[in-house]
Amino acid sequence: MANTIIEVENLSKLYRLGTIGTGSFRQDLQRWWNSSVLKKQDPFFDLQAEDAPANNQYLWALRDINFEVNRGDVLGIIGSNGSGKSTLLKIISRIVRPTHGSVRGHGKVSSLLEVGTGFHQELTGRENIFISGYILGMSKNEIRRKFDEIVEFSGIEQFIDTPVKRYSSGMYVRLAFAVAAHLEPDILIVDEVLAVGDSEFQKKCLGKMREVSNSDGRTILFVSHSMQAVKNLCNTALWLNKGRMQEIGEVSTIVNKYISKVQQKRLLQEWETPEAAPGNNLVRFSRLELIPQLEHPEAPMDIRTPITVKFRFWNMADNQELSVGLHLFSYGGDCIFDVSSPSVLFQKGFVEGECSIPGNFLNDGSYYISLIIVKDTSVDLFYFEECLSFELEDYRGDIKWFGKWMGAVRPKLPFKLEQTEMELV
Amino acid sequence: MQENHWEISSKTSYWGWNIKEVWSYRHLVASLIRREFLLNYQQTLLGPIWILIQPVMTLVTYVLVFGVVVGVPTGKIPPVLFYFSGIILWNLFNDCFTGTAYTFKENDHLFSKVYFPRLVMPISVVSTHFLRFLMQLALLVLIMLYYWLFRQTPFLSTPWLLVVVPAVILVIGAIGLALGLFCSVLTAKYRDLANFVSLGIRLFMFVTPVIYPLGSVPENARWMVEVNPLTPLFEIFRYALLGEGTFTTYGLMYSVGFAAISLLLSTLVFNKQGDKLIDIV
Repeated sequence: MANTIIEVENLSKLYRLGTIGTGSFRQDLQRWWNSSVLKKQDPFFDLQAEDAPANNQYLWALRDINFEVNRGDVLGIIGSNGSGKSTLLKIISRIVRPTHGSVRGHGKVSSLLEVGTGFHQELTGRENIFISGYILGMSKNEIRRKFDEIVEFSGIEQFIDTPVKRYSSGMYVRLAFAVAAHLEPDILIVDEVLAVGDSEFQKKCLGKMREVSNSDGRTILFVSHSMQAVKNLCNTALWLNKGRMQEIGEVSTIVNKYISKVQQKRLLQEWETPEAAPGNNLVRFSRLELIPQLEHPEAPMDIRTPITVKFRFWNMADNQELSVGLHLFSYGGDCIFDVSSPSVLFQKGFVEGECSIPGNFLNDGSYYISLIIVKDTSVDLFYFEECLSFELEDYRGDIKWFGKWMGAVRPKLPFKLEQTEMELV
Repeated sequence: MQENHWEISSKTSYWGWNIKEVWSYRHLVASLIRREFLLNYQQTLLGPIWILIQPVMTLVTYVLVFGVVVGVPTGKIPPVLFYFSGIILWNLFNDCFTGTAYTFKENDHLFSKVYFPRLVMPISVVSTHFLRFLMQLALLVLIMLYYWLFRQTPFLSTPWLLVVVPAVILVIGAIGLALGLFCSVLTAKYRDLANFVSLGIRLFMFVTPVIYPLGSVPENARWMVEVNPLTPLFEIFRYALLGEGTFTTYGLMYSVGFAAISLLLSTLVFNKQGDKLIDIV
């Protein structure tokens, strides 16, 4: 028990959706009238009973979360969008109150839910370091002591007395994170803030965070969509699914389970009728599928996995000459490649096609695919943006280096290396 | 190891804050005040002199409109001093009130990202306005000095009353802050109120003796002005500095009592509601 630093018990959070604000004065009056004057049961509290809210005006962002974090743990919190990750962090940061349940802990908590909290565009870097530091809970002496270190870490010494509105966005992020990286709380809460900033600086920040947790026994709660970052940084992981706890445990086990679960969902899209399908009156997609060739079905997709993209669409006009283009984007939005099929003359009916992406070609990371149907190799009929997405895990084999592998692609190219002459001893 | 235990649960309490916690953020308050001055006056030609220009321009308008055109009697007090003292006191109240009445609405981006005692924001706003007021008060004293030297206007008939001046200023600021804190909770919950607030504060000025002395109000309408807790404060401020004003001990007790109770209540409501409001704004 002595080692437990955060204890989350039956934590739930209910949000009221829809027309927030308007009409709420009437509702509040009604509730007050019902509960105080008529002594009736408050309908709002009925909702907190075991059965989930019957009407869709309410949403459980978190439901019955229970877990403990030990001192020195780095806990990664993963889950798809809307699974309650940020809500959980906000509750532990004391920003919002839970609907019921509690969080107990000890020590100072600092939270980093965005980059540059408290920064003001008109102020100089120096002034912003102080204000942001104070807001994040640093003391005057602490900031004074670490000021030089912060400036050095950010690498913007020359601009420290320039208003931050004149900074590039990269410089802004560097400075903001530099302040945050020098906080000395017992518990550090980090939301997806590293998603901004360039990869070189991300590495530096991850390194700093790891150093902090290893050497000072600091506890970190970390939310990220990058499974790579979670795996690199955390030792345990908590998987949230629609506000409920799916699983907590050793990081690589949880991350692998999560990835294979999420991929199953994202790998296939199907539409029964043309009415519901994406498209227009000339073409409509009916089925999209991404098929990885895995060694066994539970294995996560990694950089060695060959992938086939299969698609089928309704062609709704006779004598159309069609071709399909496939655009692959990295998660950051850079186009990795743009390939297209041959152009073929089709009659009304289904058209099917597939495109294969070889294994040992892409780098690790998240990708998404957009498909475009083109008529007469010149007219865009329908562009289906971000229709499929997938994530490739890293695979190093017997390479003993673990830094982030550079490049958009990581192809296996013929590479020769040989000794041509031996020095005679 | 720090044994600094905390617990977060659904219960919010009126005493959810403690003074120690707010105190530990005093440097934040100081730098927010500094920021406020920097932001308002950097990149302007005249800089902080604007703090004085604004009330002086209002003064010119009032002297022309109410003094010359309408002809509101100001008693023995020269109109310039009468209006200026009213303007700076009213500005203090008005700034403390409107500066804090939208605390949650204006700071939601910050409040939704980081925790610190929410009271830090209104405290820093009010402190800024006190500093501004002190500069304007200095100008008032300079104008008085001019009248005393060159116009031989007698001032300070009862010098010992000067000791109440700082207290009067504090109480006016406290009422502004109290009403502002209360409104900040309401405007966060019910947005429409923001419109009423700005209208209400303008109307409120007319039942405050800013542009007229209480003594000039007809008997049958006087209660409307007297029910305003600011009235005795404005009157004793003028009496202490300029030598004329109408007030009673009961009136003053009413003002001080109003300030103390409303400040206490609104701080409690602010604390109690503050944690919940982030979900709404």
